[in-house]
Amino acid sequence: MTLTQFVAKNAFRNRRRSALTMLSIGFSLLLLTLMMTVYRSFYLSKGSPESSLRLITRNRVSLVFSLPIYYRDKIKAVPGVVEVVPANWFGGLYLDQKPEHFFAQFGTDPQDFFKVYNTWKIPPDQLAAWQHDQAGAVASAALAARQGWKIGDRIVIKRNIYPVDLELTLRGLYNTDEPADSLYFNMKYVEEAVPRAKGAAGIFDIRVDSAAAVPRVASAIDAMFKNAPRQTKTESEKAFQLGFVNSLGNVKAFILGISLAVVFAILLVSANTMAMSIRERVREVAVLKTLGFTRQTILKLFVGEAVTVALMGGILGSLAAGALVSVIAHSPSMGFFFAGIRVNVPTLLVAWLVSALVGLASAFFPSYRASRMGIVEGLRHIG
Amino acid sequence: MPTAAETTIVQARNLQKSFKRDSFEVKALDDVSIDIAEGEFLALMGPSGSGKTTLLNMIAAIDRPTGGELLVMGENIFRLSDQQSAKWRNEKIGYIFQSFNLIPVLTAFENVELPLLLTKLNKQERRDHVLTALKLVGLEDRVHHLPKQLSGGQEQRVAIARAIVTDPQILLADEPTGDLDSHSAAEVLEIMTRLNQDAKKTVVMVTHDPHAAAYAHLTRHLEKGMLLPA
Repeated sequence: MTLTQFVAKNAFRNRRRSALTMLSIGFSLLLLTLMMTVYRSFYLSKGSPESSLRLITRNRVSLVFSLPIYYRDKIKAVPGVVEVVPANWFGGLYLDQKPEHFFAQFGTDPQDFFKVYNTWKIPPDQLAAWQHDQAGAVASAALAARQGWKIGDRIVIKRNIYPVDLELTLRGLYNTDEPADSLYFNMKYVEEAVPRAKGAAGIFDIRVDSAAAVPRVASAIDAMFKNAPRQTKTESEKAFQLGFVNSLGNVKAFILGISLAVVFAILLVSANTMAMSIRERVREVAVLKTLGFTRQTILKLFVGEAVTVALMGGILGSLAAGALVSVIAHSPSMGFFFAGIRVNVPTLLVAWLVSALVGLASAFFPSYRASRMGIVEGLRHIG
Repeated sequence: MPTAAETTIVQARNLQKSFKRDSFEVKALDDVSIDIAEGEFLALMGPSGSGKTTLLNMIAAIDRPTGGELLVMGENIFRLSDQQSAKWRNEKIGYIFQSFNLIPVLTAFENVELPLLLTKLNKQERRDHVLTALKLVGLEDRVHHLPKQLSGGQEQRVAIARAIVTDPQILLADEPTGDLDSHSAAEVLEIMTRLNQDAKKTVVMVTHDPHAAAYAHLTRHLEKGMLLPA
């Protein structure tokens, strides 16, 4: 036996209590890992390398207001811009309002769409089929698999914002590593059915020639329309998505608040358990000291026990969070905000560090007191 | 008192221990002076509260006097720091408790091995020491048993093995047979006698039991904190 094995044996001497402590720490770390992952995804992640070359221009006032379609050519003329394509949010209903049937639908220009999204893969014949069918549509392969579509299927999107139902034919499937479970169709379909939609674009998707050009291009576009009737706001794809998140309120403060509350709660749970465990073993501490164990060694033994239990709970919780995040990311009802989200290694390491620190902090004070207790006093203790 | 030819291993002079209980001052030890010779088997007897365990605890450096001097193996143990006295106890003292005080999650082997974890011995050396100690107390066939799987007598024998595994010079036993039936008590006392006679350990045993005290070479009585004349 080594001192480490002694610590491990003591950590699980009361299996039910250790298991419950591990579960409570595990559950808290699950929440914390979820919060950290969401925070990282929203505020720290820079998005995919491909998306870093893309900008989105929208109406400066609100997304509710559109931009004139003629802005497209002006934007394309800005040095550094490779391609521009308009996109209009259709917001219709597929089959019913069930979450699993929700997905984004955009009207766009089939001729240039894959020039902006040039890393998305679509077979040339399928692209050509879409470009030649005004009622054609393309969807991500993942979305098609989830909805059970195959090429040639008829897809009806019921009206919601626009007073028209879309009766589309699936002409192509694209593949991408980016979270893009959407359906794209020719915007002329809606424009011909709804005259007021003509000449307007909800947003412009832009591809620039280099990441270094992004800030300069964004500023140049917004400066160009500074005195226009409809001013623009150009931002990175990531910032654009973050705008949706921020529309829910102060999400950053919410996440940080929950994270702090979770850490504080597990600290209390763990401290209570450790205090109880140490109080029961006052006599044993005195025996160990009689055998020659020093205060420092006893302190290390107890703190080691707490860190072991907390760390195991933390590992359990953070791995469960990883599995849960994977489920959320692939969930049709949550995928819109959380598509592509995953628990990465640094997040896991931070979660494990937090759980180890919780174990350390919760055990230190009761362990220190136990280690300082006189041997005679400890031997008299009836525990 | 030991003769000049005998080496004194414990030398206490005017030991005092007093503490306050409410507004009263209680004297646990009152001017106790005693010499214990190396290789002695001494029984300390007396009624409850007479100061027997207090004296034993002082020899083990787990309690401190409020006055007087105590030399154990020539060392003034109360001048040692906490860390030094812990190391000193580990090397020089074997302590046997009345209620065994084995660690419930450890096997007999692991309980005996505990004091050796603080030494520089390697795994094989520790194993050899532990098995030797367990063999000495006749428990070589109970190596992997947990305390709850042992009888009281066997638990106390494991505790004795734990006390001797570091090969200390002095064995201190506080009512070692207090929780045992007469048969187990006799076994434990036989082992302690063997350790005294064969392994030349100095044994100081606190007991209430005259039968247990009969195993000792010498019995000293304490009463109200004072050591009665031999």
